[in-house]
Amino acid sequence: MPEDFEKEMDSVSISFRLNGEAVSIQVDPSESALVVLRDRLGLKGTKEGCGIGECGACSIMVDAKVINSCLTLAPQLDGREVMTVEGLAALPAGQSIQKAFAETGGVQCGFCTPGMLISSFSLLLSNPKPARSEIIEAISGNICRCTGYVQIIDAIESASRTLSDNDNKNL
Amino acid sequence: MASNSEKERQIDPVGQSFVRFGSWERLAGNARFCADIEMEGMAFLVAVRSQRHHALIKSVNSEKALSSRGCLGVFTSADIPGKNRFGIINKDQFLLAENKVRCIGDPIAIVAGETLPDAQKAARLVQVSYQELPSVFDPEEALRPDAPKIHDNGNFLGNRIIRKGSPEEAFRNSDVVVERYYETSHVEHCYIEPDAGVAFVDHDGVVTIFASTQNPHYDLKDVCDLLALDESKVRIIQSPTGGGFGSKLDLNTQGFVGLAAWILKRPVKMVYTREEAFLCTAKRHPLKIWYKSGATRDGRLMAADVRIIGDTGAYASYGLAVVSRSAVHATGPYEIPNLNIESKFAYTNHPMAGAMRGFGVPQIAFAHESQMDLLAQALDMSPVEIRLRNSLRVGSQTATGQQLHASVGIAKTIEAVKPYYEKARKQAPALKPHLKYGVGVASMLYGIGNTGVQNPSTAQVELLKDGSITLYSGAADIGQGSTTVLAQIAAQELNMDPLAIKLVIADTGRTTSAGATSASRQTYISGNAVLDATKKLKDVLVTHAASKLKASRSRMRLEPGFVYDMENVQNKASFQELASIMSRTGTPLKWQGFFDPDTTPLDPVSGMGKPYATFAYATHVAEVAVDTLTGEVQVLRVSAAHDVGKAINPENVRGQIYGGVVMGLGFALMEEFEPGKTESLKDYHIPTCADIPEIVPIIVEDFEPTGPFGAKGVGEPALIPTAPAILNAISDALGSRIYKLPANLERVLAAAILSKES
Ligand code: FES
Ligand code: FES
Repeated sequence: MPEDFEKEMDSVSISFRLNGEAVSIQVDPSESALVVLRDRLGLKGTKEGCGIGECGACSIMVDAKVINSCLTLAPQLDGREVMTVEGLAALPAGQSIQKAFAETGGVQCGFCTPGMLISSFSLLLSNPKPARSEIIEAISGNICRCTGYVQIIDAIESASRTLSDNDNKNL
Repeated sequence: MASNSEKERQIDPVGQSFVRFGSWERLAGNARFCADIEMEGMAFLVAVRSQRHHALIKSVNSEKALSSRGCLGVFTSADIPGKNRFGIINKDQFLLAENKVRCIGDPIAIVAGETLPDAQKAARLVQVSYQELPSVFDPEEALRPDAPKIHDNGNFLGNRIIRKGSPEEAFRNSDVVVERYYETSHVEHCYIEPDAGVAFVDHDGVVTIFASTQNPHYDLKDVCDLLALDESKVRIIQSPTGGGFGSKLDLNTQGFVGLAAWILKRPVKMVYTREEAFLCTAKRHPLKIWYKSGATRDGRLMAADVRIIGDTGAYASYGLAVVSRSAVHATGPYEIPNLNIESKFAYTNHPMAGAMRGFGVPQIAFAHESQMDLLAQALDMSPVEIRLRNSLRVGSQTATGQQLHASVGIAKTIEAVKPYYEKARKQAPALKPHLKYGVGVASMLYGIGNTGVQNPSTAQVELLKDGSITLYSGAADIGQGSTTVLAQIAAQELNMDPLAIKLVIADTGRTTSAGATSASRQTYISGNAVLDATKKLKDVLVTHAASKLKASRSRMRLEPGFVYDMENVQNKASFQELASIMSRTGTPLKWQGFFDPDTTPLDPVSGMGKPYATFAYATHVAEVAVDTLTGEVQVLRVSAAHDVGKAINPENVRGQIYGGVVMGLGFALMEEFEPGKTESLKDYHIPTCADIPEIVPIIVEDFEPTGPFGAKGVGEPALIPTAPAILNAISDALGSRIYKLPANLERVLAAAILSKES
C-alpha cells in the first residue's frame, strides 16, 4: 500500500452476540476482532501478546471454537456467538474453572490467563472429561512464559472433576 | 512454652499456600495492565528507531510527519528538558539518540498521534539520514585497539577478577585436568505482556506514570533526571505487570511517556509491538567461557582457571552486575581452593544485553556443571558422588573467600534428587532403537541480592484508627507473588490473616524504595524490611496493651485484632482501642522497616569479599530421550530440589520451580535470539505445554538465621540447574557432548553423528 494511501475504507455494520447479549456496531473491515472488542467495545480482558497468532493471549470463543482474535477480522464476527473472558466469568462453569486456576496457582503474572481460561472452557464444553494429553492439546496454542503449564493443566483437570453434570449443562 | 489456648489462637500464615494476591482480578479479566488503561483525551506514541547498526545521524526531518493528519508532535533529543542520559548502573543510554546510533532499534524520535494509526502513519513519514560507521559484533574484536569505538570511552565495559591460592601449582598437582570452551547465545525474555506505559500530568502538576516495571523507584530517578523535575513532581505507579524476568528493570517506555505527557500536557500511552519488544529490550548476555578444572584422583577439586568474555551490546544495562556475578559464581556450589577467574565484557553493536533471570549464572552453570561431569567421567566416578564430595558446607569458603556460617543446603538438595537419579539409572524406559535415553544432574548456588553493594529495602506498617493494618512496600510484584509473601510475613508477626492486611504496593507516591525486583532479593531483603517494621509496631502494641491490661509485657500475645494476656485470655485490648490510646499519647501509628544485607565489596585485585549475606542452592536431575535421527530431545522428567531456607508460600515456590524448569528447558534446547534475524515469536520458539516434562518440585528448607522466618529466595535459582542437567543428560544419552547453547536440532544431530562415528 503506498504511504500516502488516504482513502478510508467504507465501514460495515456487523451484529453478533457478545457474552450472551446482542451487539451491533460499525467497523472498519480491516480492523481485527481484537481491536474492536478491546478498543471499541471496552472489553479489556482479552489481551494482545503478539498480534500475529503465535501466543494465544487474544483467544476468544466464536461459536464454541477458540480463535485468535488478533488474526480475525471484525466482519467475521457477524452473526456469530462470541465469548470473552468477561462472559466466561459470568457463568457458573466459568467460575469453577477460575476457582481451580486460583487454587492450583495457575495464575502468575496473569497476562496469558484470559486466553487460557477461554481455551479451557471450550475444551470442557466439548469434552467434559479430557485426558491430560487432550488438555495439553487444547492449550498448546496458549503460551505462558511464567510458566505455569503444570499448574494450569492441574487446574483444568480439577475443574473437570468439580464441574458436575449440572454445571456442564450450564456451559 | 505456648499454652494450648495460645496454640489454638496461633494462625501461622507463614508456610501456608495462600492464593497469590491479584489472581482473582486477573481471572475475571479486570486487572488493568497498562495497555488496558483508557483516559479522556489520550494520545498514542510510536518510536522512530535506528535502521543502522552504527551510524552518525545527519538529519532528522519531521516536516512531513508533522503535517500528517492527527499527528500531535515529533520529539527528538532536542526536546528533552533534562539530561538525556539514563541506565541502571552506567548512565550510557540516550532516551532519544543525539548524534549517533549504536544499534538497530535505537530510538531517534517519538511521534504522538490522536490515535495509534495516526501516530504510526506519522512515524513512517519521519526521515532520518545516516552516515554509516563501521560496526563490530564480536566482544573480543570489540576490545582490540583498532575496533570501531561505540562509546566515547571505548568498548570496554568492565571486568571482575578472582585470584586465590596457587592455581598453577595446584594444576600441576592435580591427577586430572579438564579444559573446554563453552558458548551461549542471546536469549529473549519474551514476557507475554509487551512493554507498556501510560502517563498524564495530574492536578498538582505531577507527571504520573503507570508502568509495566520491576523497579518503580529506579524509574523515578531516571525520569526525574530526563525531565529535570524534582522527585515530588514525578510519580511512578507499577501497573499489573505481565512478567519481567529482568528486562523490565530497564527504562523501556517510562521515559517516552513521561516526556510526551509533560510536553503535550495530556495523557499518553505507549505499547510496544511484539517486534519492538524483541528488537529494543535487553537480552540475556551471550558468553564465551574457557574453563579449566583440576581434581585429585579421589575427585577433590583443586583448581579452576576460568575466562569469560561477554557481549553487552550497545549499552551496559545490568552488564556490570553480570560481569561480577558470572565470575563470583564460576565455581558453582563447590569449594575450590585455587582460583584464577576473569570475566570481561565489551560493548558491541548488537542489541543491548542486560538482566535476565540469573544475571550470568545460568550461562556459567552450564560450563561448571559440564566440567563436573567431564571430571567424573575422567575419574570414573558417579556425577552425584563428585558433586557431593565437593559441596560447600557450613564452615566452607566460597570463591571470594566468604566463610559460610549457616543454611548451606547444597548437599541436602543433591541427596534429595539422588533417589530419582539412581532410579532413572537402573530403570531406563524401553525406547525405540533410534531413541537414546540419558540422565543428567546439575547443581548451583545463587547469591541472594546484589553483588557486593548495599541494596537495602524499606517498608512501613501502619495501624489505622479502626484497628486495621496497612502494609506499604515499594516491591514490584511481577507475577512471582512477592506481595502475597510480604503480607504473610507481616501477618505471621501480628498473628493475623494476611488477607485482612490492606496493601499499598510499588507506587513511588505512597511507598518508599524496596529496591529492584531482581536478584531473587524481595523475599529475603524486603521480607526483612517488612518484618522489621512489623516488629516495631507489635512492640508498641504490646507495650500499650500491657499497661492497659495491667499485666507484664511478657504475658502479652496477639490474636486477630487483639492483644491478650496469655494467663487470662479474656483480658484483652482491641487494636482499635490501642490505636486510639496511641494517637492520644503521641505514639506513631506507622512504623518504618529497613534491611540491608550484610555484605562487603569485592576487592578489585583479588576479588575477595562477602558479596552476599546468604545463598540459595539447588540440584536438578533431568531424564531425556534423544532422537538420533532428527536431533529432537524430549525431556521426560526433571526432579528439582531447591533449598529456599523456608518456603513462606510453598505453592509460590513450586510455581517458581515449575516456571524456572520450563524456562531452563527453553534455554537448553531452543531459545536463540539471532540479532538481525530474529523478529518475533514467529522465529523465536519458547516452550509450549507440549514441550514440558514431568516436573517434580522438591522444597528443601535449610533455615537461614538472618532470613525472615528463615527464608532466602528462589526466583532465579529455579531456572539455573535445568539447562546443564539436560545437557548432561544428552551427553549421557549420546556419549558425546554439546558445548554451545541452545542444544538445538542441528547441534544434537551433529553430536549424535559424532558419537556414532567414534
Ligand atoms: S495476540 Fe493473538 S495470538 Fe498473540
Ligand atoms: S501467568 Fe504469566 S504468562 Fe502465564
